[in-house]
Amino acid sequence: MTLGAWQSLFADWRSFAVGLEHTLVAAALALLFATILGVFFGLLGVAPVPAARTINRIYVEAIRNTPLLLQAFFFYYGLPRVHIVLPVLAVGVVSLSIYTGAFVAEVVRGGIQSVARGQLEAAYSQGFSFVQAMRYVVLPQALRVIIPPYTNQCVNLVKNTQILSLIAGADLVYQADTWSSENLLYGVAYMTVAVLYLAITLPLAAISRWLERRIGGPIEAGADA
Amino acid sequence: MSWHGFTVLFQPENLRFLWWGFTVTIEIAVCTIAISLASGVVLGIARYAGDTSRGRALRAIGLGASLYIETFRNLPMLLIMLAARFWSHLPPFWAAVAGMSIYTAAVIAEIVRAGLLAIPRGQWEAARSQGMSYMQAMRYIILPQGLRKVIPPTVGQFITVVKDTSYAWGLGIQELTGSGTIIFAKYVNPIETFSLIGLIYFVTNFSMAFAARSLESRLARRTF
Amino acid sequence: MKQRIHAFLFAALAVVALTGALARPASADALSDIKARGVLNVGVKADVLAFGFLNPKTNQYEGYEIDIAHELAKRLLGDPNKIKFTTVTAKTRSGLLDSGEIDMVIATFTITEQRKLVLDFSPPYFTDGIALLVQKNSGIKGLADLNNKTIGVAKGADTATRLTNKAAELGNVLLNFSAFETYGEIAAALQAGRVQAFSTDGSILKYYEQQDPSTVILPDRYSNEDYGVATKKGNDSLRDWVTAQINQLRSSETLKRWQQRWAIFNENQFK
Repeated sequence: MTLGAWQSLFADWRSFAVGLEHTLVAAALALLFATILGVFFGLLGVAPVPAARTINRIYVEAIRNTPLLLQAFFFYYGLPRVHIVLPVLAVGVVSLSIYTGAFVAEVVRGGIQSVARGQLEAAYSQGFSFVQAMRYVVLPQALRVIIPPYTNQCVNLVKNTQILSLIAGADLVYQADTWSSENLLYGVAYMTVAVLYLAITLPLAAISRWLERRIGGPIEAGADA
Repeated sequence: MSWHGFTVLFQPENLRFLWWGFTVTIEIAVCTIAISLASGVVLGIARYAGDTSRGRALRAIGLGASLYIETFRNLPMLLIMLAARFWSHLPPFWAAVAGMSIYTAAVIAEIVRAGLLAIPRGQWEAARSQGMSYMQAMRYIILPQGLRKVIPPTVGQFITVVKDTSYAWGLGIQELTGSGTIIFAKYVNPIETFSLIGLIYFVTNFSMAFAARSLESRLARRTF
Repeated sequence: MKQRIHAFLFAALAVVALTGALARPASADALSDIKARGVLNVGVKADVLAFGFLNPKTNQYEGYEIDIAHELAKRLLGDPNKIKFTTVTAKTRSGLLDSGEIDMVIATFTITEQRKLVLDFSPPYFTDGIALLVQKNSGIKGLADLNNKTIGVAKGADTATRLTNKAAELGNVLLNFSAFETYGEIAAALQAGRVQAFSTDGSILKYYEQQDPSTVILPDRYSNEDYGVATKKGNDSLRDWVTAQINQLRSSETLKRWQQRWAIFNENQFK
């Protein structure tokens, strides 16, 4: 890592800025859709309808047991075969949303189930419907349990944007990879990108820990995505 | 998606090519699991010991473990693997294993630490009341309970490792996912190829998850 | 606070020590190492017709560069088959050379000033040019038509730099690049319309033009790409020996004959 290497790197700062932007945009959009998907499928998983629970199982097990990268390749190369050509960032967001959604669904399902069954029955006895019981009684309590592992999934999401690097998605890992293999200057690129990632993920992880302390809920031996 | 897309995929030479990729995937996964399990457990105990003990040496070691864990747990694994591949002079397979192990060890360390933290304070107090030193308490009371607790989530992490081997493709290693890209590029059948590969991963991982769940229920029956 | 600094310094020291231990120095006598080992390790391409191509039916490598490799093995070890091929891509070839997995790279490796800073090249054994593969119905006829469009390139190749320089010469031409791991993926991206052109050396593109008849290689060539045999910096004896062999093969017109055999000879060679 010579001074010349650093000068080369800073001359090309725009590429890395683009990488940072793509990483953040993809993560933010995917977080939004993953949350929607996750809550929806998570609720399906605790619904009184067996068919709904089966759909939840299929979605969660199929997505969680196959690599995210494979799913990204599937959409990136497969969709054009059915004449759907999405811009690469959109493919990234779709893959990340579906993948992370499965994990969020499990977190939501686990959180709801951790709330004592008695709560749901007590709500029914007061005349609440399933949806009303969920909304006013169960979910507010479940949130305590859900939020810490949910923020863990957020951190995983930011890291998982790395799939973009293998579909020419111009994220931070892509920039480190292409810049360093063109210039044969590896150390400076990887160190810089590592610092940039830590600048995003360390604060997120700290927020996660803070939330865990504040909101409580049992400590989960965190499942990693 | 077409019938032809499938039939050409199932030709023996292609299936053999995919099988070769699958063996590479398993090799990377097994090596990574072995190394990261050993180092992850040590790191997790070190961090826990650093947090709970009052000895200066242990606290320093614990701090070092914390720095390692927080740094590598919060970086994308592919980045670590790329650095291991191109910055050091390790051959590609071992660079992939090294990169994955550095990351996974940090994750396992946190799983271990969470398991240890979940042990009730009463256990410490009971041990101390029996006159045990810190080390004795750790060795005879705390660690045996803690380590048994973390077996299920650790097995879950192994499933993640098998999936993560797909990133080795970014290092030019022809594991299962990478083999798929080579095949589909030749025959232009991405949907068929990746579906088959997805199925292979699914069967592998789902079986492991199933085995883990039965292990978990068997272990649960043995505790008080 | 002091403990944090100590821990950090210790960690930093450990990292430095580790990377130092992992870096293997070049052997001053790589040549005798190879002779002692009895096998020449060569990195070659597996997906470039007529240069380095792994024939799926025979599972053998074949091509102009493979012929050169066999000849070098024969001259060094007495037997052209005392050779072990490793498939490389533009991205992986330098790393494998550095780690000592392979003794040399004969894989459409273009000689550039920047690369010469980190590794050694023999004199050129082939001269090619960067070309563009486009869809026939896209109406793209040259680099100027690719203004604001995206070109697919391979990671680790110098294609993007060369084309950017050329575009600067033309004036108001702005090019975007997407880098992929393998050529097959770039071809797939071209088919899908994610990139409007696939660019690498013309000789590499021929295979993909063949695979997809709806594509065509444009006639222009941008920059001269000299291919050389790459060896690790510091392996002086090996570098000098390879240089001598390539020079001899050139002057004896053996290289020209082989190129004609593979139908890749053109008047740009050996200028």
